[in-house]
Amino acid sequence: MGRIKKKGTSGAAKNYITRTRAVKKLQISLPDFRRLCIFKGIYPREPRNKKKVSKGSTAATTFYYTRDIQYLFHEPLLNKFREHKAVAKKIGRALGRGEVGDAARLEKTHIPKIKLDLIIKERYPTFVDALRDLDDALSMLFLFANLPSTPHVPSKTIALCQRLCLEFQHYVIISHSLRKSFLSIKGIYYQATIQGQDILWLVPYRFVQRTAGDIDFRIMGTFVEFYTTLLGFVNFRLYTSVGLVYPPKFNAKSDEEGGELGAFQLEGKGVASGDEHVTNGNAPEAIASDRAQAEADKVAALPDSEESDTATALVQTGEDENTEAIDTFEPTAQDADTLPQPQASSAELASLFAPFTFYLSRETPKAPLEFILKAFGCKRVGWDSILGDGAFTTNESDTAITHQIVDRPALLNSSLPEVPDAPETANGDAPKAQWPRSAMPGRTYIQPQWVWDCINQGKLLRPDLYAPSAELPPHLSPWVKPSKGEYNPNIPLEQQELEGEAEAFEEEEMEESADDGDSDIAAAPAVNGKNKDIEAIVDRDSSVEAGEGMDLAESESDSDVREENEDTEKAQGDEWDGFESDAESDISEGEVERRQHQRELEAEAAGVSVELSLPTTKSKNAKVRKKAEKKRKQEEEERERQKMMLPRRKRKLLKRIEHGTNKRDKEAENLRSKRRRIEKASSSAIAL
Amino acid sequence: MAPNSRKRKIATRELPVESASEEELAEGLLEGILSHSEDDSEDSQDEDVRSVVSSDIEGGSDVDEDEEDEDGDLESTEVPSDGEDEIREQIRGLKTTDGSLSKKFSQLTHELDAELRVGLEDEPVGEELEPNYTVTTDANGNPRYLYKEIEPVYDSDESDAPETTNTIGNIPLSFYDAYPHIGYDINGKKIMRPAKGEALDALLDSIDIPKGWTGLTDPATGKPLELTEEELDVLRKITRNELPEEGYDPYPEMVHYFTGKEEIMPLSAAPEPKRRFVPSKHEAKRVMKIVKAIREGRIQPYKPPAEEEEEEQDFKTYDIWADEVPRPEHSMHIPAPKLPPPGYDESYHPPPEYLPDKEEKAAWQEADEEDREKDYLPTDHEALRKVPGYERFVKEKFERCLDLYLAPRVRRNKLNIDPELLLPKLPSPDELKPFPTTCAVVFRGHEGRVRSVSVDPQGTFLASGGDDGHVRIWELLTGRQVWNVRLSDEDAVDTVRWRPGKDASVLAAAAGEHIYLIVPFSILSPDIEQSSRDILDAGWGYAASKPSATTNGAPAKEPPARWSRPSTRLESKGVLVQTTVRSTVKVVHWHRRGEYFATVSPRGQSSAVAIHTLSKHLTQLPFRRLKGLAQSAQFHPSKPVFFVATKNSIRSYDLSRQELVKILQPGAKWISSFDVHPGGDNLIVGTYDKRLLWHDLDLSTKPYKTLRYHKEAIRAVRFHQGGLPLFADASDDGSLQIFHGKVVGDLMENATIVPLKVLRGHQVKSRLGVMDMDWHPREPWCVSAGADGTCRLWS
Repeated sequence: MGRIKKKGTSGAAKNYITRTRAVKKLQISLPDFRRLCIFKGIYPREPRNKKKVSKGSTAATTFYYTRDIQYLFHEPLLNKFREHKAVAKKIGRALGRGEVGDAARLEKTHIPKIKLDLIIKERYPTFVDALRDLDDALSMLFLFANLPSTPHVPSKTIALCQRLCLEFQHYVIISHSLRKSFLSIKGIYYQATIQGQDILWLVPYRFVQRTAGDIDFRIMGTFVEFYTTLLGFVNFRLYTSVGLVYPPKFNAKSDEEGGELGAFQLEGKGVASGDEHVTNGNAPEAIASDRAQAEADKVAALPDSEESDTATALVQTGEDENTEAIDTFEPTAQDADTLPQPQASSAELASLFAPFTFYLSRETPKAPLEFILKAFGCKRVGWDSILGDGAFTTNESDTAITHQIVDRPALLNSSLPEVPDAPETANGDAPKAQWPRSAMPGRTYIQPQWVWDCINQGKLLRPDLYAPSAELPPHLSPWVKPSKGEYNPNIPLEQQELEGEAEAFEEEEMEESADDGDSDIAAAPAVNGKNKDIEAIVDRDSSVEAGEGMDLAESESDSDVREENEDTEKAQGDEWDGFESDAESDISEGEVERRQHQRELEAEAAGVSVELSLPTTKSKNAKVRKKAEKKRKQEEEERERQKMMLPRRKRKLLKRIEHGTNKRDKEAENLRSKRRRIEKASSSAIAL
Repeated sequence: MAPNSRKRKIATRELPVESASEEELAEGLLEGILSHSEDDSEDSQDEDVRSVVSSDIEGGSDVDEDEEDEDGDLESTEVPSDGEDEIREQIRGLKTTDGSLSKKFSQLTHELDAELRVGLEDEPVGEELEPNYTVTTDANGNPRYLYKEIEPVYDSDESDAPETTNTIGNIPLSFYDAYPHIGYDINGKKIMRPAKGEALDALLDSIDIPKGWTGLTDPATGKPLELTEEELDVLRKITRNELPEEGYDPYPEMVHYFTGKEEIMPLSAAPEPKRRFVPSKHEAKRVMKIVKAIREGRIQPYKPPAEEEEEEQDFKTYDIWADEVPRPEHSMHIPAPKLPPPGYDESYHPPPEYLPDKEEKAAWQEADEEDREKDYLPTDHEALRKVPGYERFVKEKFERCLDLYLAPRVRRNKLNIDPELLLPKLPSPDELKPFPTTCAVVFRGHEGRVRSVSVDPQGTFLASGGDDGHVRIWELLTGRQVWNVRLSDEDAVDTVRWRPGKDASVLAAAAGEHIYLIVPFSILSPDIEQSSRDILDAGWGYAASKPSATTNGAPAKEPPARWSRPSTRLESKGVLVQTTVRSTVKVVHWHRRGEYFATVSPRGQSSAVAIHTLSKHLTQLPFRRLKGLAQSAQFHPSKPVFFVATKNSIRSYDLSRQELVKILQPGAKWISSFDVHPGGDNLIVGTYDKRLLWHDLDLSTKPYKTLRYHKEAIRAVRFHQGGLPLFADASDDGSLQIFHGKVVGDLMENATIVPLKVLRGHQVKSRLGVMDMDWHPREPWCVSAGADGTCRLWS
């Protein structure tokens, strides 16, 4: 007979270890343990059976895998931590004795430097792994790049974060890998696709961040330390992969003047990097050449040798892009299957803003606009000199400018103060194009949102919708995939609402409004308003020129179609009725129709002109709604019938699934009703 | 003595701050300053006096002080002669005071008096004779010695203690706010409050501020604190950072204790060693060694570590993924989940429908931070410049950090199942047609409940039996009653069943213990009538011969049933055979060929189940003892198998081999009825505990499906026998439920059961709804018997 096995000596109890025990086992302090876990990416686990693991106790505890902790045992960082502790003790002692110089020397020379290189390699064995995990790193570093320096956050760290972020942005610009961006209330989201990995990060708006509350900057600092190392290696790899020298040359003076992106100067590797110089739009040389080109355009002078070089280079790159691009396959025969192809090639996107010269007014956010415009091929971005160094031009009246981004309401000229003195212009005779005083001819004035909406839709949109002080169309997230049953603001309401929903709503509204006569009038423009809205959306989708306003005939035909639909539905409904025998209501409905017909016949016989009792909207609505309701009820019944046949376990599962869908449906319905109300209100406002 | 100290005081201070003058101030409120001036005059008088006696005093001042000491506490040690002298002196003084002073004595303070007197008396007597007290008479007329105040001189013991003129102790002066005095002096006399207020202010305005005036009040006396010239001088020096004391040298010449003194006798007289003045060779050697090392470059001069190196370190200089090897897939490694991308409502300018209305906003704000579904409130900003910073940004990032390293990661299987797939594939309703949906005919005529219905094999007639003891036959399509008979007066007709087979038309009806076999000839065609009669009559002879055989063997034994002819009244109606069993028959079931029928009488114990052979008029009791209460019995539709349902199990017996085949356990508490599928492999069971159970005989003894759709007990279940995949049950809740139950010959496929229809129409009477039901032999129609006295045809 074997010995009685003791509890907790094998199985789950051995596989898991509580945090306290782990800390004790590693013989380090809790903060050190925390740092180690952050660096090594070790996180707690949830045992399947907590009771078994914690020997019967059910108290809330964090568990780690014993193997993970075992693996930490051999970590060289542990020794570093211990050394650090020893030095810290010495420094403390020196300070206690008042030997400040000694303490400073110890701190300077003896504190062990922690290198995370190997850990990075260990945690991300392949580069793609690192890219996959870059979301959090970028968000964090962009946040720290915008933080003020405090004792917790030394300025050195902030400078490092800024540098790394700008370097990364430079890579995104050069590789044209930015795909989407979104202005949210939290900040600006960007999504880049690098080596097939979608990287999404969030950059806060430039305001002082609220750091109050229980925020432990030591933890964040540990993360930042790790992320800076990671991004450093990622940047190195990215730069070298496109044949650039890492680190790029940094112009401290330009940086001091707020150059940001412009403070870096990228260099190609070796001799065969001429075209890199050209694609790099922000390097001073490139700017200089651009300027020269602009001037050359103006005077229509002969292109000098340098320009021709760049031109050929451009052509070459263009050719390269052409060969790289995917060819579109057209099916030759009708019966063949068509395979899906990516429609917008990256090359097309990369040159979205290429032919334009932008000018940013001083109230616009320079950093994101510059980044986005350059990432989408714009090489000439100018801005007000207040916004910092590195502009293509700081002269607002430069004739080369094709688009000016303005975020100011248009004011009457009289309400503006007098211009004290004419601002110096590069060419004296150029008109002073100072928004909002006067608009330059041939220049498009737009609000910043235009840029974002353009890149998200992958094409240039109508700028008049985004004119200064125009009411902007809603800014939509590019990441929401339309799914069945969910509300989609892009689609007109009619296409997504459930049958009879609108009618029910209108009926409700009508009950609310006192007189019927008014509502009849109100209903017609409502249709119009809807149409208009659809039109706007269609326009936005296709970016074609605006058509004429929808005329009444069209709307009528629309309603005809709807009636037809109703008829067919009715027919279907009849069929259903024949089968399902919801006899009473059906009979009554048929009865009503029959009676109506009878009345008409009688009246005809009597020679009285039938007062065409056109079904009022109300009654029609009621009918449609009732029908829809009935149909829904039938479907519900059918579903119930099906559910009855499920075994209990599956029924529970179904219930859980349905809980989610029901919630989604409810949300969508709420949104639809809100939109209906808004549309109604706006249409009635138009009618007035 | 007093004048002595007094004189000294005057000599040292220019401004008189003595107690005497102060007390005068206290006495005559307003005359403070005036008396002061008087005081001055007195002082000058004193001074005069002093100038006279100074010569005498100078020499004996020491003695004087000694004496004063002794006066206080060393009286006993004094010389007796002195004492005598003193007494004499006192007497003399007494006289002199009496004589010299007028009656205004009482008005003046005694100190001042004494002073004055002493001053006067000093001249003739000299200081030895001076008494330190005065004698007055007290209230009783006895002499009272009034001692002069002891004035501590410099060397006296009390000199260190602060001079206390007010004896109230260490209490706040505010205690005396209500009184005109501010305390008591050492003699217990009241110290009057000094003048204060407007009068004093006026006076102060009129005169200039005296030198040394501080504006402070001495807390001990409550009088203004004034400083002397010397004290002011000290203060002045302190403020100038000078040494307050005159003649103090802060930097005296240093005295060298050891070197300054040439010892006459030194401790050691050894000569100075050589090493004190000859350079060390050893040291020179070592220095040369170092010099050599430096010259050769073996020793580098110390250089502080450069800062620039650190800067260099910041840049990554190599590709860490130069030789990347992908990590082998490991199930334990769970990468951190990414944050979901933002939705429409997070936009700075969302579509208006995403903006929360007032209620939602209020709800969001009111909710606890952890309960909020979203941690932001969608807001609309009409332009990008109006977008404010997001307050919770750092907090959110911090929380993300916490999640990354602190949150346990669990792989959760997302329910990515289409609910439509989960739902069973039901045949479309079109495929399921036809089935009964509406009530077509109502058969009224029964009084009381209708207990049983049966449709004849031709499908033209419906037989029903009820509580009124009648068996009625109706025309199925019209609802017309074509035939009826009253079988019993007291017993209800519990069951009616038509004999299967189209060649004859025989109805079996059970009322009480009797089973009647009926040929309703009035509604039958003659040839059918004839064949039916033949079938029933065939057994008569056999039945007559048989009992005779049994009488021989076991005369005592009662036959299981008696076959007889009913009364002529019944026979004229068509009731041809009456069989009486031992107890009340509840269920009759015909064998498919019509040759046998089984009856069940639940109370009958051993004779509960009986099988009757029609052609021989023979009754057999197949079970000697039955486990449980028999509820129902049926023949297998094709095999020689017999099913018997007891209270909670169903047994099937092979009749040919006479053995038990199977025990089905539906798990029901009380089986009410069951029916076998025409295919013979499936079986449905209805129970009083509201369940309908489908058994697949091939699968298991447990039910394949358990259906619970009724709210009340199920009374009857029946398969459609005419080839349609339908079955139905009748329940006490007044409804029938029609199901589609398709059985496929393929063993691999299970039966599909689809609920189709609930037929409502029967009323519930005394908690009984539908008592029985039957299917039409061919059409998808069914007939139900209700407790409300009606039968209904559903089509």
